[in-house]
Amino acid sequence: MKQLIIDSLRIEGLSTHDIETDAPLFGEGLGLDSIDALQLVVGMENAFGVVVPDAAVGTKVFQSVRTMADYIAQHAA
Amino acid sequence: MICFMFPGQPLSRPVPAAGDPDAAELAAMVARVAGLDIAGFRWLSGEGSENVKLQVSGVADSLHRLRRLRRYEGPPGLVAQHSMGIYAALVACGALREEEAIEVTWRVGMAMTPLQREGEYALGCVTGLTEDPLLALARNHRIYLANHNTSRHFLLCGKKGDIAAAVEEAGAIGAFSSRMFDCDAPLHTPLMAPVAGELNEIFAGYRYRDPWSRLMNHLDQRFLTREEIAPFMLRELMAPVYWERTYRALRREGVTTFYEVGSGESLRKYNRWIEVQGGE
Repeated sequence: MKQLIIDSLRIEGLSTHDIETDAPLFGEGLGLDSIDALQLVVGMENAFGVVVPDAAVGTKVFQSVRTMADYIAQHAA
Repeated sequence: MICFMFPGQPLSRPVPAAGDPDAAELAAMVARVAGLDIAGFRWLSGEGSENVKLQVSGVADSLHRLRRLRRYEGPPGLVAQHSMGIYAALVACGALREEEAIEVTWRVGMAMTPLQREGEYALGCVTGLTEDPLLALARNHRIYLANHNTSRHFLLCGKKGDIAAAVEEAGAIGAFSSRMFDCDAPLHTPLMAPVAGELNEIFAGYRYRDPWSRLMNHLDQRFLTREEIAPFMLRELMAPVYWERTYRALRREGVTTFYEVGSGESLRKYNRWIEVQGGE
């Protein structure tokens, strides 16, 4: 999941060890924004076939690496 | 080849670099030319809106970054701009001096402010929908597509009530996100017409020099000559920004490295989206 974030967002100089599993991804955490959110939606869909339908669901899914993993575990075919 | 790309008005106040001599020099220039105290984010003389403060601070921030970037990269092969990024971009390619860019930004911001009296305008930021449904939405709600940033990132502009309805409908027809923001003026739409005469006078009042780096305009992706700069500055405030087309044209010209010369990373992120999507 951490690698998916790094690859989808093309974050240079960041390794999976730099991302905390429960740290917030938006705002004070990784500092992601709405442009990043849509990029992550596409990345998740391509990698796992899981759809995040809108920003309201996205706000919950993209709280942290853990919430992303939980969402995929619940929705992957 | 290197491209310096200049973003438009920042959404929030850029943080001034404390103790930096270049930042101090530019802050003094802004105070003298525009009457704005950047550090305190307040007007020293006259009155202007919060948006004008952001416009002037944004250009000063870009000019500060430009000074630093030039020291280790030298002049860029190409310069590109998004919206009000044009004023700092003109400095990057040698067509205007720093002081002139700050002054023109401030004068344009002040000239646009009376449009608030024409009606309450707003912006609608929509992600996830493609261009066709948004064009239909714009027609139905009598609003405009002001920014075509990527295949899925658009900015709508128009009367506040119409934007509110359009943003709601965008959500209902499948947008990933759709949000409304207040603005002073209906930038990048024909609704700017009431101040076109005054803006034209402002732009015609400067002596532009031949660009020493090629400056690509975002409307038709051609390179601006000295004579074309003033007409373009007016035209771009009344027409949409086409960033995706511009990015693709820059790549075709051979640009391999992009520097975003301003606060935020929106242009870098749009470029990333365009690259990932691929195709033409």
